[in-house]
Amino acid sequence: MSRILVYCGFRKSRELALPTVGVNAVPVEVASFGALSLLWSEVEWPFGPDRMQQSAVEFHAVVHKVFHQTAVIPFRLLSVFDDQQAFTTFAAENQERFLRDLERLKNFVQMECVVYPAPSQVDRSSGKAYLEQKAVALRSSEGFAQSMRDAVAHVSREVRVRESKNGTRIFVLVERGRENDFRQAVSAVAIPEHLSRRMSGPWPAAEFLSEQVKMPQIDRVADAK
Amino acid sequence: MPNDFETLETLGGEDEVSLLEILDHVLNSGVVIHGSLVISLAGVDLVYLGLNVVLTSVETALSNLQIEEKRRRK
Repeated sequence: MSRILVYCGFRKSRELALPTVGVNAVPVEVASFGALSLLWSEVEWPFGPDRMQQSAVEFHAVVHKVFHQTAVIPFRLLSVFDDQQAFTTFAAENQERFLRDLERLKNFVQMECVVYPAPSQVDRSSGKAYLEQKAVALRSSEGFAQSMRDAVAHVSREVRVRESKNGTRIFVLVERGRENDFRQAVSAVAIPEHLSRRMSGPWPAAEFLSEQVKMPQIDRVADAK
Repeated sequence: MPNDFETLETLGGEDEVSLLEILDHVLNSGVVIHGSLVISLAGVDLVYLGLNVVLTSVETALSNLQIEEKRRRK
């Protein structure tokens, strides 16, 4: 059974060097809808669980080859279209929204910092001690997130903070080319003793996409209920 | 860059990112076009029935993967 896997969308340009091989070594195709280009492959579906991690790395490589050259809107790996007709209809319907987001984000990349309790510091001697420590860690994370907002203000267009089971995730929209300024600014922020910090990026600015681009079928899902 | 996890080199060769971060981004970030999915990741079978469930379940899967990665490194 085959499906259409879409990697990413970007503004059409002849100057871009595009990847030719995608997930599971299948060819990568380019589809253009006005000024919007989308990279896609026809893949065997579903992916085998034993190749899941490899597929993720291959998908990432395709998206990042374009992202190194220009702004992209990434799709999610496990999101596929039933056939080319569904893909074409989707692209035609969403072309303008995608181009608006690409224009808004064209000079930016997403940098990230995750703050999480240091593994060696976790107190599991009792449930109460664990919860108290978790509450302290949460307050410290909030304090750190605020300090980080202040520290990166000069290199950031926008900052978003999201709590997750794995810690506090801070997403920062940074002008392309200023990634090292971001890293230096974050490194200068003192981190509380019982917390650890991990930086990553640059990534495509997926966290800063408009909701209609991130989940364009929401209206249809709601209609179906 | 401090990193607790296995490190891979990206195509450009200039950025180092972990496998965990790649998995997180390719599964969790970007455009979603289907509301229901079934996958198996790191030996965990997952059935996603809705968009909100997708986000929660992937996060749980990544958390499990993170624990597994640490255990393997010890």
